[in-house]
Amino acid sequence: MGKVVLTVDDSASIRQMVAFTLKSAGYEVVEAVDGEDGLAKAKNKAADLVLTDQNMPKMDGLTLIKSLRGLPQYRSTPILMLTTESSDAMKAAGKSAGATGWLVKPFDPQKLLEVVKKVIG
Amino acid sequence: MSSRKFALLILAVALLVSVVAWWAAPIWRVVAIFVVAMTVWYLGTRFGIEQNNAQATIEPSILHRDEIAAMMNGLATEGRTQCDASLGELERVKDLLKEAIEQLISSFSSMNAHIEKQRDLALSIASGMTGESLGDSEVSFSDFVLDTSKTMGAFVDNTITTSKTAMRLVETMDVIDGSVKSILGILGEIEAIAKQTNLLALNAAIEAARAGEAGRGFAVVADEVRALSQRTNHFSQQIRGHMDAVHGSLTDAHGSIYSVASMDMNFALTSKQRVQETMTRIAAMNENMAGAAREIDFHAGQVGSGVNTAVTALQFQDMTSQLIAHAQARIEAIRTAAEDSAAAFSAANDVASGLAQATEHMQALAKVDSKRSNPVSQDSMGTGDIELF
Repeated sequence: MGKVVLTVDDSASIRQMVAFTLKSAGYEVVEAVDGEDGLAKAKNKAADLVLTDQNMPKMDGLTLIKSLRGLPQYRSTPILMLTTESSDAMKAAGKSAGATGWLVKPFDPQKLLEVVKKVIG
Repeated sequence: MSSRKFALLILAVALLVSVVAWWAAPIWRVVAIFVVAMTVWYLGTRFGIEQNNAQATIEPSILHRDEIAAMMNGLATEGRTQCDASLGELERVKDLLKEAIEQLISSFSSMNAHIEKQRDLALSIASGMTGESLGDSEVSFSDFVLDTSKTMGAFVDNTITTSKTAMRLVETMDVIDGSVKSILGILGEIEAIAKQTNLLALNAAIEAARAGEAGRGFAVVADEVRALSQRTNHFSQQIRGHMDAVHGSLTDAHGSIYSVASMDMNFALTSKQRVQETMTRIAAMNENMAGAAREIDFHAGQVGSGVNTAVTALQFQDMTSQLIAHAQARIEAIRTAAEDSAAAFSAANDVASGLAQATEHMQALAKVDSKRSNPVSQDSMGTGDIELF
């Protein structure tokens, strides 16, 4: 069984493209539609990597990262931001919230796979 | 009073003074007075413009407050109608994009799955033909043809060898037949000798009888010799019988073996040639197949890079939806500012404070971006940066 990646994004097309890319490389992908859903699914099933958007209804990406970092099992799990936001201020906020890395949309599937491989193997 | 009326008044006074001076003084005074009058007129004109400028800011004050309020409320109402229509249209654009992207992604995914399946099948057909990358248990088409060709060759070779051996057997049998004929000839000789011996024994018996008592013993010997010649003849007949049987059998065998030896080799030879031709054709076909497999590999690579580009481009809806949502927020802000300005002016006690409050609401528009910054800064679908902390 491949490693589990949780993708959190309110855009169905982004979730599908992430799932399409990662499943083809043998990863198991769990999808969540916003921060709250992401947090619930992360608690429900241990993910090896969380890939989250920033701007989402109910709970945004930064809040999700902070909430996950508060859970013992997600203290050192890699969490990558995948967002259209590209300002240095937002990146700094992400870094201080506990994000492992920052990917600006749209992502290149090959590069996404390289980063995921680098982070969780 | 407007500046134009003031200037015309000055000019009229100057002309009047000039005309009066014309009647009362010498001509140079008239000129001097006219110049002074023109100067005064010019200065008056400039003063009039400044007056005009000073009046511009206070000119609206002559309009009735209710008229302005009505105008502003009308603008707000019409603006709200237009803004609502625009928001509705943008919402429809978002919905259309959402529906389109769902269909695009689903058709793209299924297309990609089918292409992968097609490629796998094509490669397995190609490797089955060329024998590349097959497990031990699997037999490729070329292996099968090679085996068949070998078996066919061995069969044809055996048939030819059998035919040659049969030919040699026929020759050997001819030799044996010759020997049998010689033996039969020798048997004729033996029979002639036996016949002559028999005749000699008969003569001896006659001569013994003529000798009387003295020849009695010789007569016995002559009888024995005659019996011996008869037995010799009898044996010879027996041997001849056997040799005739051998000759008959040899003739039969000769016929059979000759038919084997002279059997038509053309069928076997043609078959062998045909299998060899087929092998040559299959070798060429395999070469084509290997080429096709290489091409399939190349195109698979092309498809892969196309899929990459499509996966990147198919993320457009996320960005466009966010941009549309942000444009909607701007339009909402414009609508709110227009409504709030109109309401503030209507509620104000006087024109001046009403205008000031309305302006304040309008200025709030400039702060839209600071309240809710645009989440999308991309201008193209080029892939974004990656940064690991």
